[in-house]
Amino acid sequence: MSGTTTGEKVTFTLNGRQVTAEPGETVLSVARRLDVHIPTLCFHESVSSYGACRLCLVEVFWGKRSKLVTSCLYIPYPDDRIETDNARIHGVRKLVLELLLARSPHVEAIRELAREYCVEVPRFRPSAVTADATRCVLCDLCVRVCAEVVGQSAIGYAGRGSERVITVPFGEQAEECIGCGACVFICPTQALSYEDIAGQRLMKELNTSVPLVACRVCGEHFATEKQLAKLRERITMPDELVDVCPRCRGTEFTRVLDEALVTKPRV
Amino acid sequence: MITSPEQLAEYRAKCRSAQTLLRPRLLVGMATCGLASGAAKVFAALREEAALRGVDIDIVATGCKGACFLEPLIDAVIPGKARVTYAGVTVEDVPDLLDAVLAGAVYAKRALARETAECLLIEDCAEPYPADANLEGVPAYDAVPFFHGQLHLAMRNCGYLDPTSIDEYIARGGYAAAARALTTMTPEQIIEAIKTSGLRGRGGGGFPTGRKWESCRKAHGTPKYVVCNADEGDPGAYMDRSILESDPHSVLEGMIIGSFAVGANQGFIYVREEYPLAVERLRHAITQAEELGLLGTNIFDTGHDFTLRINRGAGAFVCGESTALMASLEGRVGEPRAKYIHTVESGLWGKPSCLNNVETWNNVPVVIQRGAEWFAGIGTEGSKGTKVFSLVGKVRHVGLVEVPMGMTLRAVIEGIGGGVPEGRQLKAIQTGGPSGGCIPAEYLDSPVDFESLSSLGSMMGSGGVIVMDDRTCMVDVARYFLAFLKDESCGKCVPCREGTGRMLDILTAICEGRGEPGDIEILRDLATVMSEASLCGLGTSAANPVLTTLQYFADEYQAHIADHTCPAKVCRALLRYSILTEACTGCAACAKVCPVNAISGERKSPHVIDETACIKCGQCYEICRFSAIEVA
Ligand SMILES: Cc1cc2nc3c(=O)[nH]c(=O)nc-3n(C[C@H](O)[C@H](O)[C@H](O)COP(=O)(O)O)c2cc1C
Ligand code: SF4
Ligand code: FES
Repeated sequence: MSGTTTGEKVTFTLNGRQVTAEPGETVLSVARRLDVHIPTLCFHESVSSYGACRLCLVEVFWGKRSKLVTSCLYIPYPDDRIETDNARIHGVRKLVLELLLARSPHVEAIRELAREYCVEVPRFRPSAVTADATRCVLCDLCVRVCAEVVGQSAIGYAGRGSERVITVPFGEQAEECIGCGACVFICPTQALSYEDIAGQRLMKELNTSVPLVACRVCGEHFATEKQLAKLRERITMPDELVDVCPRCRGTEFTRVLDEALVTKPRV
Repeated sequence: MITSPEQLAEYRAKCRSAQTLLRPRLLVGMATCGLASGAAKVFAALREEAALRGVDIDIVATGCKGACFLEPLIDAVIPGKARVTYAGVTVEDVPDLLDAVLAGAVYAKRALARETAECLLIEDCAEPYPADANLEGVPAYDAVPFFHGQLHLAMRNCGYLDPTSIDEYIARGGYAAAARALTTMTPEQIIEAIKTSGLRGRGGGGFPTGRKWESCRKAHGTPKYVVCNADEGDPGAYMDRSILESDPHSVLEGMIIGSFAVGANQGFIYVREEYPLAVERLRHAITQAEELGLLGTNIFDTGHDFTLRINRGAGAFVCGESTALMASLEGRVGEPRAKYIHTVESGLWGKPSCLNNVETWNNVPVVIQRGAEWFAGIGTEGSKGTKVFSLVGKVRHVGLVEVPMGMTLRAVIEGIGGGVPEGRQLKAIQTGGPSGGCIPAEYLDSPVDFESLSSLGSMMGSGGVIVMDDRTCMVDVARYFLAFLKDESCGKCVPCREGTGRMLDILTAICEGRGEPGDIEILRDLATVMSEASLCGLGTSAANPVLTTLQYFADEYQAHIADHTCPAKVCRALLRYSILTEACTGCAACAKVCPVNAISGERKSPHVIDETACIKCGQCYEICRFSAIEVA
């Protein structure tokens, strides 16, 4: 009976509408295709789903029974009746946002989501045991992008429960980190950042710095050494291009590079 | 090598005559609990004394009978006579005990109980012992309050055999169920039998075992795996440890049957890091079973292959959760994941995997051997068979207790447990481990089974039962469990990670006199979001201690918040120490002991406590001989 393992399309009901999911497609993906809004924080289409923030909860009904499931992970079964917003869902999301806002009161993305659910000021007292006022909400996006997209797995966790934090192995100077900044780009709360100073790219929160390469033509730092090395592993790049910054490469070279990029697929 | 049921029966006959007919045997309870009460010394003394006298007697280490409050326990088995259990045996008892046993008599001073029949897990299971005049003063097992009403199925061999000897396991009917299942039943018939028996998972969730096996058998994908959950993370629960230490082969046998039923050739036993003795016993048992061909290839000549591996746990409570356990087994971080596709379809390495608890596996041979209907005849409508509980806290008889499902809490706590000691009042019973609930004394007549405990807001969990007396503060209890759960939350999902922390903050504040009227509502909201939105069972059940104490002991929360008092006089910050002028003789003992010099007064006249300086350590209360210190 399961549509999840048979590799077939699945027809189910989404907010009262008959809809069809592709084999293996999640409810969130179907909803996004159909412009049905579901809030998310730990989801990004370039990486696998993780199910940590719980904002994307929706309610599945089977006859009289029902259950809340995370739409970023739940693959519908035929005849599931799914609602993406109702009083129960709203109430739970609101409480999740109250918890998140208490943890990260300075993060605009969270404040905005919280406002959407009418949470202005969390009711909790200052905490002795939970992180207050940290930007990181432990959504895991940086961990996944580094592992799944960049292929480096430089970021992981230390500690458990309320002590859990994002970190690199042993807390400093990660050999695996190539300083590409994918984690900074994907972080929904600006908890990660980098800065280029004195020939080094400093990944501040990760306690890691990676040497930069200066452009042979103009002298400007434009990428890290490890980034270029990684690029060269994956694409054929004419030697004369390697230490030239994109701006100095000129249109012709850029075209060469672009071609190389599209013709050699990612590993 | 044993390759047929007939060979097994022959082997059993050989083992039985070898051990029981020739000479007396003393079995000393040497599981972790026995060792903790000095069993090793008694064991050494017995061996030394026996060697000194040059007598022909077997002295072996056995497992735990459950009566942990009576350890060290020794069973004496004399050829042709009833088995007698001695309790609280000390090194000083050794010479007299040996004298008695060698003379075929009873050492009355420590005799606790006698067995009326030798019970084996084979067809005609009970062989009555011959009558014996020596035994008249010794009560039968069932006449000892702690054992009255107990039914040892899971613990059938605990304390009866040397856990390092496969021969003794076989002598007591071991591996006969595996032989029967593999050679006379189809996998479907086995699954049907388990379904009919009504056996439900003993690890906490109570999922019907037969249905789980059926889903795993039907799941697509090979290879398949069977897994034993021996992570036992509930503090205070130790029945799994005890079974593994006392009767490791019973778990192996259950897994052999299960592997054949679901179609798995590889099994794993995931054992909690802190259980080195259990691991040792298991290793040894696996080697022995391999040597006899009961594990390995072509078991009982059926073509079924099955090998077993032991894995050490990662040392976290959450690793007992099925998906976290499997991640940990695969060598990944032991973190739960969503189970929208069940582990019976996609578990270890994405393959169909059947995970059961130690006690669940251990029950399987009983179902096969005694029959599904027989098993289903024990217990209640929805909960069949027995359950082992670890009875701890403010109760006279602390230990492991195995009773038919549906026995009342009263029978367990007052009957078997002997009630609350020192004339205190029973206040509440906490069941189900850290995320279970607290049931107030009014519900003592409720039956103990899956449904009843859930309907009271608590749960069966793994079978932890903590008895609490009237000196227990229920807000403090909730705070204690939340502190545990907050520390054990893996931190992956928001409701559990943030929610347990916020709850702990509020409960701590209430216990310290900083509670506010709105706190109860916030606690309820947190309970809602944790139970509705958390990823795994740890988070969804973490609010239970708070919800049940709120439900049954709301007035205690009120007293803390509104009146700033702790009715049970536990929460230190809320206590007020003062001196009763009429009772005080001015002996100044309190003033001397007070670490902050908060007590002053003239010698021989009443003293006073400076409340602003008092740190509420209670030392004055302890030292006063005239009951002049009042605590409010
Ligand atoms: C946080 C958490 C901890 C658990 N710990 C254990 C454990 O220590 N032992 C166990 O057998 N089951 C434990 N369970 C239950 C398992 O997830 C699983 O349901 C069980 O092992 C299945 O076996 P059963 O059906 O035989 O009970 C735990 C569950 C959760 C949510
Ligand atoms: S509920 Fe708690 S233990 Fe379970 S995944 Fe979430 S944070 Fe981890
Ligand atoms: S987006 Fe689904 S749990 Fe975070």
